[in-house]
Amino acid sequence: MDASPLPPQITINGVQFNATPGQRPLRVDGCMTIGQLFQKRCADLGQRTAHREKDFGIWKSFSWADYWQHAKWIGLALRQLGLNRGEVVSILSEDRKEWAWFDLGIQCVGGITSGVYTTDSASQLQYLVTDSDSRFLIVENEEQLDKFLEVEDALPSLQKVIILDDEGLHDLNHPRCMMIADLYALGQQAEARDPDLFEAEIEKTSPQDTALLIYTSGTTGQPKGAMLSNENILAAIESGARALPTLETDEQLCFLPLCHILERDVSIYFPLAGKCTVNFAESPETVFANLQEVSPTTFTAVPRVWEKIYSQVLIMAQEATPAGRAAFGLALKAGMARAEYIHRGEPVPAGVAARFWLWDRLVLRNLRRMLGMDRLRRGGTGAAPISGELLRWYWAIGVPLVEGFGMTETAGIASLNTPEINRIGTIGQPVIGNDLRIAEDGEIQIKGLNVFQGYWRNNAKTAETFTADGWLRTGDMGHLDEDGFVSITGRLKDIIITAGGKNITPAEIESRLKFSHYISDAVIIGDRRKFLTALIMIDQENVEKLAQDRKIPFSNFASLCAAPQIRELISQEVAAVNKEFARVEQIKDFRLIDVLLTAEDDELTATMKLKRGFVEKKHAHLIEDMYT
Amino acid sequence: MSEPILKIRNIESFYGPIMAIRGVSLDVHPGQIVSILGANGAGKTTLMKTVSGVMDPEKGTITFDGAQIQGSEPHKVVQRGIVHVPEGREVFPLMTVDENLSLGAYTLTDKAQFDHDRELVFSYFPVLKERRNQEAGTLSGGQQQMLAIGRGLMANPKIMLLDEPSLGLSPLLVQEIFGILKRLNEEQNMTMMLVEQNANAALELAHHGYVMEIGRIVMDGEASDLMQSEDIQNFYLGVKEEGARENRRWKRKKTWR
Repeated sequence: MDASPLPPQITINGVQFNATPGQRPLRVDGCMTIGQLFQKRCADLGQRTAHREKDFGIWKSFSWADYWQHAKWIGLALRQLGLNRGEVVSILSEDRKEWAWFDLGIQCVGGITSGVYTTDSASQLQYLVTDSDSRFLIVENEEQLDKFLEVEDALPSLQKVIILDDEGLHDLNHPRCMMIADLYALGQQAEARDPDLFEAEIEKTSPQDTALLIYTSGTTGQPKGAMLSNENILAAIESGARALPTLETDEQLCFLPLCHILERDVSIYFPLAGKCTVNFAESPETVFANLQEVSPTTFTAVPRVWEKIYSQVLIMAQEATPAGRAAFGLALKAGMARAEYIHRGEPVPAGVAARFWLWDRLVLRNLRRMLGMDRLRRGGTGAAPISGELLRWYWAIGVPLVEGFGMTETAGIASLNTPEINRIGTIGQPVIGNDLRIAEDGEIQIKGLNVFQGYWRNNAKTAETFTADGWLRTGDMGHLDEDGFVSITGRLKDIIITAGGKNITPAEIESRLKFSHYISDAVIIGDRRKFLTALIMIDQENVEKLAQDRKIPFSNFASLCAAPQIRELISQEVAAVNKEFARVEQIKDFRLIDVLLTAEDDELTATMKLKRGFVEKKHAHLIEDMYT
Repeated sequence: MSEPILKIRNIESFYGPIMAIRGVSLDVHPGQIVSILGANGAGKTTLMKTVSGVMDPEKGTITFDGAQIQGSEPHKVVQRGIVHVPEGREVFPLMTVDENLSLGAYTLTDKAQFDHDRELVFSYFPVLKERRNQEAGTLSGGQQQMLAIGRGLMANPKIMLLDEPSLGLSPLLVQEIFGILKRLNEEQNMTMMLVEQNANAALELAHHGYVMEIGRIVMDGEASDLMQSEDIQNFYLGVKEEGARENRRWKRKKTWR
């Protein structure tokens, strides 16, 4: 910590920040780097629970002291194995406490953490490790280890692979692999030799040092590693603390990939400041059960997850008794009426409030308890557009769900709605501490201490990302309304120019399509073509349910997509969307993607969004079919 | 192709509150052998029971030979020409082979037809003729399975539903019984719907295959195509994927393509 006198400070929920946000030196509780903050928290909180993880069906607690001790061993051991400051360590694992332990351990000794999605293939792993020039690779288990073994000859500069889970690997004998227990042992010895080394390493880090690399899943071309500094993350924390208040007593559920900046902020860095407890979901498949068990006070997810929960409730309601269905309908109506007033910013009339209170007691409260949202103070959604209808529905059942916007390059946070200041259909107001402007061509541009340092060893791309006067080009187009709320209309580089010379932003049409219950994602085609068409991925669960309800026979996914009634259904959805757009922007024809895509497929990002480039290439035959 | 003899559409069946079949649609064409593959609890046996009338579906239709039969009493279903050879054979142990066969023919009234059918059964399963006066409970497992199939044949069915005929049998016996089923299909043009865990034997025998998982069909196709599918090979045929390491324990995710 530097000796200069502190600028005026304010305290938000027990954490001290600069009174004027967005100013150097950025301080969180007096700390200027992630490592310092981590050290302070662990020393202060000691035996309080930092993480919970489920082990053989029982939630086990791990304290801040455990966090510190393990991170320390990890950092010291990696250092001893040859990790130098400024070198990268890659982590290939599902979310678990060790992810956080490694992230902090690596950063405290000056390393840079880079996450790899568990759905990535061996060749993608090879690219990421090579591009980041990683010295070490952390793999979760034998499945992930096999990806390394497949490409190990192509990764000569990788020194060691550390395995977290040794199940099935007891007889593994590989010169470049070691188990986590051995790493801890090494760390313990190093600690015994030099007890103060770890703390000394933390002190060496400056706010400008790169703390992490986040590879952005470009829809075209290879992923690029965005470098985020300690200061960037502290800026995100500073903005987050003001817009997304965290309390010490908060419980969170961590389940989105930690390789993604959204979950990383929410589950590792924000809790460092907020002192709350993070519960790790057992697996991506058990999220809904874990949600019930944990009943978090704040919960951040992607629209897909919110849609899934909504569908489940709808199905439950449909299968309830007629009386139950009627009660749910009335409760929802009461909720909607109240939400209307809240969204208009008007006081809720006593009658409406009373009606809601009654239905809340009778129905909605139980519903929220069933979903694990009975303690929820704030639900967040980001990373993809969400339908306004869905947001309203959640407000109606008493879940304050708000949409925000951030990108890797802005350390995950840029503009936010809050339960108090919320305008549905926008991504909220720019967060305090970063400036946002709309450029002449409609692009949203951002400046602030949260804006990243550049792309790892790729100055050309970095230069492309900044304007001449130093603003970050987000690549998204949008506008600001009179109250400063931002709306996004589409991606700049996705603009379609039809054969008739008309400029069209496909994202606008695509998000409208996606808001349909039956469409999970869509890609609009039409660049240099006479008219627009769409490739549509249907929502398996909802469409299967509908087919079953309407007695539409199908066997597998392909036959479901081929059923004429399903085509007709989607065609109606498309027609409904078409009504909202001008004639040149209307979809003249569409095809369904009749293979069930998984996150392992090239066409999907890890957050299950269709990648335009890959989809256009892989389904070229469908596209050609529509234009001949 | 000919009109299917058995058409199942959007069937849902429950055990109390548990939905065992969550919307299954499939077709069986005359003269075809259709296999249904799936792990324990996928709903294969429930599907068979629903067709044969032992269970009633909550929803959906079963059309057999042009008439809807869902929810019919089992004996009515047998009279229409659907015979269910249950899992675990279920022969009457204290009755002789002959008596067991006679019971299978209870829908028949014509003595000449009965004699003809029994001769047919004996021609396919000569061992049953040798042991016709022996109590069925004293037969070996393979012989009991033959008796169960023979008993089914005695009803002179248009389609046989075979629930795991390979259960508990030695590989040699499985080969023998499946050989006889193949001959029955080829020589008597017998239509069959076969539920199996022994995917290899089932796909060798069948013309068409369906794969069920937790109450739904996830994949279907010509048996020869299914055998080429990577998912079927990995999860049903025990083919090991080439991995980077020996002793690999994890399996890739199913995609059903």
